[in-house]
Amino acid sequence: MSIVKTIFLTEIMKGLSLTLRKLFAKPVTIQYPEEKKPLAPGFRGRHALVRDPKTGKDRCVGCYRCAQVCPAKCILIETERDPETKARVVKRYEIDALRCIFCGYCEEVCPVNAIVLTEFYEYSGYSREELYFDKERLLQNWDEFIVTQKRPYFNPFWKPRGIPERKLPAGKRQAEGI
Amino acid sequence: MPQAVEIIQKQKNSDQWDEPYLVNMGPQHPATHGVLRLFLELDGETIVRCDPRIGYLHRGVEKLSENLTYSQAMVLTDRLDYIASAANNVGYCLAVEKLMGLEVPRRAQIIRVIVCEMARIASHLLWLATHALDIGAMTVFLYCFRDREWLLDIFEEICGARLTVSYPRIGGVRLDFNQKIIDELYRFTEEFPRRIPEYETLIDVNRIWLKRTKGVGVISGEEAVNLGLTGPSLRGSGVRYDLRRTRPYLIYDELDFEVAVEYEGDVYSRYRVRMKEMREANKIIRQCLDKLAECEGEPVIAEEAPDLLIPFSKPKRPQPAPHPKKGFLVKSVEVPIVPEGEVYFAIEAPKGELGYYIVSDGSGHPWRVRIRAPSFVHISALPALSEGQMVADIIAVIGSVDIVLGECDR
Ligand code: SF4
Ligand code: SF4
Repeated sequence: MSIVKTIFLTEIMKGLSLTLRKLFAKPVTIQYPEEKKPLAPGFRGRHALVRDPKTGKDRCVGCYRCAQVCPAKCILIETERDPETKARVVKRYEIDALRCIFCGYCEEVCPVNAIVLTEFYEYSGYSREELYFDKERLLQNWDEFIVTQKRPYFNPFWKPRGIPERKLPAGKRQAEGI
Repeated sequence: MPQAVEIIQKQKNSDQWDEPYLVNMGPQHPATHGVLRLFLELDGETIVRCDPRIGYLHRGVEKLSENLTYSQAMVLTDRLDYIASAANNVGYCLAVEKLMGLEVPRRAQIIRVIVCEMARIASHLLWLATHALDIGAMTVFLYCFRDREWLLDIFEEICGARLTVSYPRIGGVRLDFNQKIIDELYRFTEEFPRRIPEYETLIDVNRIWLKRTKGVGVISGEEAVNLGLTGPSLRGSGVRYDLRRTRPYLIYDELDFEVAVEYEGDVYSRYRVRMKEMREANKIIRQCLDKLAECEGEPVIAEEAPDLLIPFSKPKRPQPAPHPKKGFLVKSVEVPIVPEGEVYFAIEAPKGELGYYIVSDGSGHPWRVRIRAPSFVHISALPALSEGQMVADIIAVIGSVDIVLGECDR
């Protein structure tokens, strides 16, 4: 280190000049609660059960695939047979959001795209019960979410890009935006 | 630690300080990068003995994996080195694929290299940020976070999560890149080499930085090998050992990049190695993006890749109905899902050699998973690196070996 450098603190000056330049640059921070970052499509946020626009009900057929694949084992499903039509009815569908690790496996295995992780992350609760989503709550989550979206809404996990069609179940192959 | 208590009692009662002075550093110390506890024995300000205590973040990832299927266990690997979760996922998937003898499509391999290198840059940026902050350079911290944020945004676009990505899949990756991601990555690789000199302007020639890092925590190449250091911490001591070159996996043998090596073996060299590595990683991403264009539209998952919903236990092969006359049941034969056997596969994670040792008993879940985490080995090298140094220097030493406690305690 030469004597000039030592006396004039050149390296400090260099650093400060960079800081000075950045002072007039466009800020990279955003004012969070007022300003929000747009989320990428397919962000794995709060769960919702898709409300089918045709029937007004959820699409779940009670196949238990999501409950089986869930690594955190946080999905609870109970089904029963309708005594008249012999069709399978989903009696309970509950997700414990506090245990979920947001891996997105459930939305990926669902053959009819009934469960979805919405692009919504600002949720909290005062008690555990508030974050234990039952079926009504999951459908309500969907209603709350879909009004904020551009229609038709299409989640990338409903038909993953680059996966050969024959590897996907029929419901995913014919998936359409809502 | 009865001995420690005894010594402290003695210290209280005597007027002379002829006993060694004991200091507990951590587990709640901002500069230990997590919940690491160091038990320091001091002589004045010099460290006589350094004794790392770990286990405050133990979640039993290895044991948990035994009760989950192979694809479910992959999401646990996100939580090891949570700074570079994509690299952990890729390592795990490669190990399972080696066990199953699965060939991954080329496009998926390229994508995996891209996410691995993105994870490397993100990890090194966070390392530089916190390391500089520990030493006292606050500005770098904010600049690094600015760029890391950009990478996390790209991760979000790729797979929907910023930190715990769970992006690869056994046999491929989850979804393909779209044009938006590729364009954004091109912009990033264009811009990022101009950002690195910014950090260097701030600290590289700064005399405070040099005083704090040069000649601190010196370790020779031989010693580093004996201690089992890997990754940038080893290459800072002049050993050219990089699994991407010595045992190439994925498509690394086709790529043109240099292994960053420095020879001093001190904190400063390890810093230089990581700075070089960021530039090389940027180059690798660039090359991979060009290669990605060549295999546009190809599938990203292997034909024989197992379903996400791997059955937990061995399925029974359907048997022909037993002969009605004899009246006894033929025992059905179980079909293995993942072949029996054991496998070790290591990748060059941002922090060093990350190895997975998996034993399979032929069912849908691993019988045993052992993770060779670089941070665990690096922490065990802390005594050798810090003994004889000043107390203030141990901060620089911890920073320079780049540890993450999630990976160490598992
Ligand atoms: S995101 Fe993962 S952990 Fe959460 S409910 Fe779905 S499968 Fe379970
Ligand atoms: S996978 Fe889909 S259809 Fe099957 S139970 Fe789950 S939500 Fe319902």
